[in-house]
Amino acid sequence: MEAEKIKKVLLGKFPEKVKEAEVVDFSPAFEVDKDIILDICRFLKESEDLRFNLLSCMVGVDRGDGFEVIYCLFSFDKKHKLTLKAPLFQENPEIESVTPVWKAANWHEREIAELFGIKFLNHPDPRGILLPEDWDEGYPMRKDWEGKDFVRLPKK
Amino acid sequence: MSDSPRNESVEELRTEEFEVNMGPQHPSTHGVCRFVLKMDGEQIVDLVPHVGYLHRALEKIAENRTYLQYIPFTDRIDYVSAMFCNYGLCLALEKLAKVEVPERAEYIRVIMMELNRIASHLIWLGTFALDIGAITPFLYAFREREKILDLIEMVCGQRMTFNYIRVGGVSKDLPPEFIPKAKEFTEYFEPKVDEYEYILTNNPIFLARTKGIGVLPQKLAIDYSVTGPNLRATGLKWDLRKEEPYSVYDRFEFEIPAGENSDTWDRYMIRIREMREANRIVKQALDKLPEGDFRKKVPVLFKPPAGEVYTRVESTRGELGYYIISEGTTIPYRMKLRTASFSNLAVLPEIARGCLIADLVAIFASFDVIMPDVDR
Repeated sequence: MEAEKIKKVLLGKFPEKVKEAEVVDFSPAFEVDKDIILDICRFLKESEDLRFNLLSCMVGVDRGDGFEVIYCLFSFDKKHKLTLKAPLFQENPEIESVTPVWKAANWHEREIAELFGIKFLNHPDPRGILLPEDWDEGYPMRKDWEGKDFVRLPKK
Repeated sequence: MSDSPRNESVEELRTEEFEVNMGPQHPSTHGVCRFVLKMDGEQIVDLVPHVGYLHRALEKIAENRTYLQYIPFTDRIDYVSAMFCNYGLCLALEKLAKVEVPERAEYIRVIMMELNRIASHLIWLGTFALDIGAITPFLYAFREREKILDLIEMVCGQRMTFNYIRVGGVSKDLPPEFIPKAKEFTEYFEPKVDEYEYILTNNPIFLARTKGIGVLPQKLAIDYSVTGPNLRATGLKWDLRKEEPYSVYDRFEFEIPAGENSDTWDRYMIRIREMREANRIVKQALDKLPEGDFRKKVPVLFKPPAGEVYTRVESTRGELGYYIISEGTTIPYRMKLRTASFSNLAVLPEIARGCLIADLVAIFASFDVIMPDVDR
């Protein structure tokens, strides 16, 4: 389906919860309300016309004034792409896990939770993944993280 | 039941599940990966992979380097097929900054990437056969890989971490003696694949270890975002080189092999056939190689415009994606590396359940997982 049509479908189905955004090469992109993330993901996967069956990538971002989780979706059947962005609050960032929709989200969410300190609600296996088991130095991918041997590039 | 002491002791006998630790240092885990296996005799009841031993925080490092300084780091993501990691980053930046790449540079990139694909598949073939117990293919595969590494060394001076592809082109032009040598190699390599097949494909021991072992259903594979040869083995003809052609892949003739049964043997066969197709692409690219610039100059302090980009390329192991958030400075605000091995490994517990422990080695090897690619 073309980008314009996908936009129409989504804006029609979830009015006021979806806003347009921009990502080069993986468009259309939308900013969505974090409270409907599970509903919108279910809809995107199960809708007959959309069938987004591949969760290609999940990205966690520290925006400075809040966090964001980005979902890059693709459909093998329809050959179209979509990016979803869910902004989160600075304090206690949390969002519903999408593991019930795509199992691939399991490991991606574990990684984001561990590195950014974003909590994924109802995650089936909320363990860490990449850091050592006895890691206690906070969330290293946050922009304000200070580590023992970490030297930040001076701002020009 | 009678009251004999013998029967009593039989009733006292019981079986129980036990845990086995495999790795992190184990010859069959290809790097540093640990499995905690719950076993019922020889049968796997559950498998929990533990990864992260090679986590080098490459995404954090990216936020502290300029874009061009980061290219050598991409070599370390997947050191077996570093050319794709170089290319993925450069492609994402070129799309974001709308850099036109000279045609000759694109052809050179394709030649180098496909040679790298063959080299990577050869490592896989050698170690896969070795894990199953066949030693000869390992020696054969490394013999041919050596020739490819010599070719690549001739061009970029490196044998493992190439650091060759640049934004706007490649770092050096092909030396004049490369083209005849590479043509010679493509002729030499084709019959060598027959040689590997002669040893393995219909070998009864090999068939017993691979046919019908570790079947990965297509639906499960897609659900877990398995990509690359492992996905094609399930019968889905999906290859980004064909479906969303980047670089100049749309100008070459090649087939996308697909499997039928999605078992370990299919995953072997797909890669054997991919080596032949990659060789075909190299041949065509060498014949069509145009004259011209090998690189479009970009500023040393390369600044892509503010924005976000996500691009994927078909690396040896599947989709390699770069998500870059740029603020219009020389340093990326955030760079996410979507590596194929990360998702490919996540599906392993699902298909290992119910298998024998000896088959786990064959299944894991057939997935072609590279641990630095998982941990980043």
